[in-house]
Amino acid sequence: MLNTAGLSLDQAPPIQVPFAFFRVAPLFAALAGAVLLWDGDVVLISRWSAPALAVTHLLALGFLTQVMCGALFQMLSVLAGAPVPRVVWVGRLTQLALVLGCLTLSWGLYSNGRAWLMLGGLLLGLGLAAFVVAVGVALTRARGVPQTLRAMRFALAGLVMTLVFGLVVLAGVLGARIPGLAGWVDLHLSWALLGWVGMLIIGVGYQVVPMFHVTPAYPRWLTRLAAPLVLAALLASTTLVGLGNVGLAVWALLPAILALGAFAVVTLVLQRRRERPRVDTTLLYWWSSMGLILLSSALWLLDGRGEVLGVLLLAGIGVGLPTGMLFKIMPFLSWFHLQHRQVTARRFDVRLPHMQVFMPDGVAQAQFGTFAAMLVLLTAAGFSAGQPWGAYLARAGGAGLIAAASLLAWMQWRCYRAYLDISRQLG
Amino acid sequence: MAPRVLDVRRLAPPEPLEQVLDALADMPRTERLWVLHRREPFPLYDLLKRMGYGWRTEGADERFEILIWASEHPPTEDELSRGMPC
Repeated sequence: MLNTAGLSLDQAPPIQVPFAFFRVAPLFAALAGAVLLWDGDVVLISRWSAPALAVTHLLALGFLTQVMCGALFQMLSVLAGAPVPRVVWVGRLTQLALVLGCLTLSWGLYSNGRAWLMLGGLLLGLGLAAFVVAVGVALTRARGVPQTLRAMRFALAGLVMTLVFGLVVLAGVLGARIPGLAGWVDLHLSWALLGWVGMLIIGVGYQVVPMFHVTPAYPRWLTRLAAPLVLAALLASTTLVGLGNVGLAVWALLPAILALGAFAVVTLVLQRRRERPRVDTTLLYWWSSMGLILLSSALWLLDGRGEVLGVLLLAGIGVGLPTGMLFKIMPFLSWFHLQHRQVTARRFDVRLPHMQVFMPDGVAQAQFGTFAAMLVLLTAAGFSAGQPWGAYLARAGGAGLIAAASLLAWMQWRCYRAYLDISRQLG
Repeated sequence: MAPRVLDVRRLAPPEPLEQVLDALADMPRTERLWVLHRREPFPLYDLLKRMGYGWRTEGADERFEILIWASEHPPTEDELSRGMPC
């Protein structure tokens, strides 16, 4: 017989905690779109340009990390039975520091303002440290699927390393003597993309792909190998940079790229074997993101333009996959919390709507269309850098990003309003 | 009366939970509900407890069999040992 003690719904954080993260995120994507619109002539010429660095951090921290933090607070309690200690307090502190830190750092990068850069580094250091400690404590208590938990622990380590190398680079930019600064920048980038984002995609994918798309489970060889391979490659690359061998350090990342490529192929194969033939918007986002992992891996191997790679990874996967997940997570959480309230209040006379009502898929598909157009425009702009039409494409892509973010924000607002309306009926 | 069997293995969340709650609402409290699920439905247990139901889960991997009953009408040893009707 199994242990049927069960998980209490009381363990879940108040819905306002994850929703606050989710609802602020599109503002940062829209802000990144505004920079693209304003500086379309320079932003994709070089990834080292001030607007490119600002856009990168607005998307990576303001959108992607924001959504991931909110989702982790929720997932740890419900999926792993490990509530984050003092979740409301830690959630507010993390979000305040993340929002202010991202804005000040991005403005510092955009305007080359030393004081803003310092303030941004300080705020992000404090906020993310609070997040890492609280989530780390929860992860030590977690039970459940070991491969998912391992990938989440590695992802958290990836976030710590990203932050540490980010602060090292910041110190270098502010004038400290850091030998071989370019190598540390590459490490900051590698840990962010492969360690934090890549590992979290793997860990979350192991859980949500079989669950939400009713597919067979991921094969054992992949769940055993993928996350440790990514971690080993990152550690090898870091050691080589430390030893001053930057050229070899880049190639040490190859096993990590291959592991993520294998994860993408297996995900696509599993999703072809799904039980339910219906194609919803979340599935479209998974398909596009897995395709983009393969495309960007090929581009990396062929030594393609870093700016195009940045567009595919950040605007394509970094904005796309969290958006697709939000179309499932937000209606699910709304329904889940309302169901809990209904049973607690014993108000069975109030009929709860089905999950799809909170975020209708028709509008979500229009949002995906806007996102896809934005991605095509920005990728074309990345390939056309320096050409007269490159700036127009980048500006049109920026407008597309603002439109996609606005549609997402509007759907989120509808979902939350529906939650509040029914919540009031339940008393 | 034969117990009701609900197979929710091919449904995406939260449909299994929705269907179980709908089925319980439609059934007299003297009846039993068997649920066939592909994972252990932890969120369901807390709701059952609050609604005054008891349950027993058996299974592993992709097949879990859950017997649900109203707390005031617990199953006999014989009912428990018979297992889920095929």
